[in-house]
Amino acid sequence: MAKSTEPALLQGTLDLLILHALGRGRLHGYAIAQTIHLLSDDVLKVEEGSLYPALYRLELDGAISATWGLSENKRKAKYYEITRRGRKLVAEQEATWSRLSGAVQRVLAS
Amino acid sequence: MRRFFLKLLRRRRLDRDLQTELAFHREMAAVGANPIPLGNAAVIREQAFDLWRFNFIEDLWRDLVYAARGLRRSPALVLTALVSLGLGIGVNTALFSLGVGFLLSQPSVRDPGSVVAVRVAGNSNLPEKVIRFIQSSGLFEDVAGEDPEAFANYNDGSQTSRVFAVFATKNYFTALGVPMLYGRGFAAGDPDEVTVVSNGFWRKRLSGDPAAIGRTINLDGRLCTVVGILPEGHRTLVGFGFSPDVYLPAYLEGASLAMYARLKPGVSLAEARAGLLTVAKRMDESMPERSKYARGVSVSHIGGSARLREQTEMLAVGLFFALLLAVAGLVLSIACVNVASLLLARASARRRELAIRLALGAGRGRLMQQFLAESLLLSLLGAGFGLALAQITATLLAAVELPLPLPLRFRAAPDWRVAIYAALLTAFAVFACGLLPAWQSLRESIATDLHREGRMRLRRTLVAAQIAVSVVVLATGFLFLRNLMEGAALSPGFDLRRTVRADVYLPPSGFSDPQKKTAYISRALDELAAVPGIERVAAARLIPFTDNTSYGSPITFADNHQMVQAFFKWNAVTPEFFQAMGIPIRQGRTFSDADAGGKTVIVNTTFVRRYLGGRQPIGTVFLWGAQGKTPYRIVGVAEGTKTMTIGEEQQPQLYEPLAQIVDDRLRIQFVMRSAIPPALQLNAVRGVLHGIEPMAGAQVETMFSSIGLAFVPSQVGAALLGSMGLLGLALAMTGLYGVMAYSVARRTREIGVRIALGATRGDISRMVLRESAGLTVGGCAAGLAIALFVTRPLAMFLAPGLKPADPLSFAAVALVMLLTGLSAAVGPVRRAITVDPNAALRED
Repeated sequence: MAKSTEPALLQGTLDLLILHALGRGRLHGYAIAQTIHLLSDDVLKVEEGSLYPALYRLELDGAISATWGLSENKRKAKYYEITRRGRKLVAEQEATWSRLSGAVQRVLAS
Repeated sequence: MRRFFLKLLRRRRLDRDLQTELAFHREMAAVGANPIPLGNAAVIREQAFDLWRFNFIEDLWRDLVYAARGLRRSPALVLTALVSLGLGIGVNTALFSLGVGFLLSQPSVRDPGSVVAVRVAGNSNLPEKVIRFIQSSGLFEDVAGEDPEAFANYNDGSQTSRVFAVFATKNYFTALGVPMLYGRGFAAGDPDEVTVVSNGFWRKRLSGDPAAIGRTINLDGRLCTVVGILPEGHRTLVGFGFSPDVYLPAYLEGASLAMYARLKPGVSLAEARAGLLTVAKRMDESMPERSKYARGVSVSHIGGSARLREQTEMLAVGLFFALLLAVAGLVLSIACVNVASLLLARASARRRELAIRLALGAGRGRLMQQFLAESLLLSLLGAGFGLALAQITATLLAAVELPLPLPLRFRAAPDWRVAIYAALLTAFAVFACGLLPAWQSLRESIATDLHREGRMRLRRTLVAAQIAVSVVVLATGFLFLRNLMEGAALSPGFDLRRTVRADVYLPPSGFSDPQKKTAYISRALDELAAVPGIERVAAARLIPFTDNTSYGSPITFADNHQMVQAFFKWNAVTPEFFQAMGIPIRQGRTFSDADAGGKTVIVNTTFVRRYLGGRQPIGTVFLWGAQGKTPYRIVGVAEGTKTMTIGEEQQPQLYEPLAQIVDDRLRIQFVMRSAIPPALQLNAVRGVLHGIEPMAGAQVETMFSSIGLAFVPSQVGAALLGSMGLLGLALAMTGLYGVMAYSVARRTREIGVRIALGATRGDISRMVLRESAGLTVGGCAAGLAIALFVTRPLAMFLAPGLKPADPLSFAAVALVMLLTGLSAAVGPVRRAITVDPNAALRED
């Protein structure tokens, strides 16, 4: 099955990736998807179908905040910024993630 | 919380924002020729929306609007639901509010939680000096007493009538803090000639004029100043809707009063009880003549749930209401099944729509919610109708004066408990009506016609269950009906058909001297005997069923000094009592005027059997009481009578001559045996009594109409349960009719084919009848089996000799059920045999 070579995002990791991307500064939705794509060496592709619901959820949770601004090509775009609450969340989730991935690594290595 | 406000503030802009944002994303992706795949825009929108909306409420609103549109197209369904659920919810709510009023309401006093009922010497009614003693002990903040079962003669200038009075201590209103409509309660400084009147009395007799305050009214021949008028919704200490007419200061010497006290702040019930015990012991020392005040000391709450817990007498009342509510609940479930069955049929028409929506990805939860919205709408309509119905019934009930021996007024005031109960019932109806159709149609909408048979089977099961439940309800109703008939067949032990009863209450002012009363009685006996058509006339302390006095005391036989603890019903009568009442004397003789000297008694056969231990009754002599010195001699043995209820077991009875006792009561009853129909004697008797003493209030009626009261409890029970049984029956029959009609309509084609192939009308009607009979018989059998079980606890309400598993009741129920089942099938059978094969075969 060809499809299985496309790594799917693990449940819950999308939030972490978004928050991490925003840790570098204010970004709009498309830029967030691009950032994740580039940082993962073109491995992870974030569909808008999952990106926007996730952004809306995070905003509702207060982990990120949104403002309208002008993009580099002078178009109206919605920019997202990480909040203090979001930073705390990302720290926690990163710790959890490294514990989890380390554990998976060890299991697979044995 | 934060989410809530965010949602509230931002939701309007949400849609526009999302559109702009997605458009921007796409544009960027297109410019960068980015290979990231696009998702389904509609799904994104849905998902983002779900996060930001008050989903449940908004969906519900949309579903309700949709359901309302749908229901407007099926008025028959709406009407059935309205009537079924309305009656079901209405009956339940009305009974519940009545029960709550009876069992849980607090009397109208200030801070009812701190008012307690006090008993010493195991007695609820105590002489005033005991009340004063406890008052002066300082144990309670205040102590008051009342005699709620008194009468007074009210004279309006032309007529004297007997009204229900409460004699109370003068501090009664101040101690309890009873709210007034106008004026004030009487107080310590007032003279004896004051009165507080009830709202009903004020409206009926004083024309509802606020200026009645300060006016004088003639009560017992004394001119009493009206100082206060009670408000409409006043609830007495006795409760149960008991509403006497007037309150008077207890001015008679030696009256016994029920005692109520207000606890001092911070004193618990247990502390008060302990304190009272100490006071009662002191009382025993200072008032040694009775020397047992310290026994049977109790302090209990006067109202609400606390009273229910502390007083065991309340338990039976509570149980009866629980039974009524359970039966009413069954009726409601029958109604719900009706509506469920109709909704099920309707869902079948929407099968295609459902299948499409499911295929398009609608969530099951959402569809389920939509079904429930429909039943929610129906239930709300039904509840509204039912509550209106209950309110109207309650208003009518409060307006009529009930023919009861006590002044009872039923007031069903809806309060928060009733509202919660009604809401719970409605919620129950929503799920009971909606869940099954919703679940069933979701399950089968994915499959094909195969499931149709399943749906029909489900509806049939529902109807059979409905029939079973109505059998249970009917069986309960029938049992009480049988109880009523059984009671009517039982003889009270005396003649009801040819006797007249007069209940006279003498004015205290003229008759405080017992001599005067004796003179009055003998004059009345003479003059009544002279009335044409009156054969026998007698006076008595009590007439059975209108009043009774029980004694429990040791008797010691003179022959061998054997002591027996005897319990018996007591009465004091004049010699002709037994002939007038038609009570046979089995042995010995009745009293004679010569008996006035020595102490003589007449006992009944049960007394002889239970206590005499094989002695020859006539001439037996015993001493009455633990320290009794006076010998009592038995001169006659009478047949027993019932004393208070028609269903009671035969009690031991003992009669004394009226002339032999010290009679301190102002109430006296006369009984007359008439050669002509007793109803024709009433005016003559009234005239004679009025002529002797115009100030005495006399109630004259035929024995038959006055004894009718004995049938009241089982009459009320039978009427309530019977009407619920009929309601359940009607509802179940509607259900059966609906199912049969639907089944015939569904099989039109099949029936057409059968007719075309030569089936006769007989064949077709047999086919339909077989189906209907199967349902009825199956439901009946199941119902009877259940009824056999669940009616078992009813034994406590039934006449002796009547078992809950009464074969006659059960047979009657089964017969009624089968007949109505048959008649419910008549319509569908007619439709089936008139099916035109040509038309049927050409259909779709």
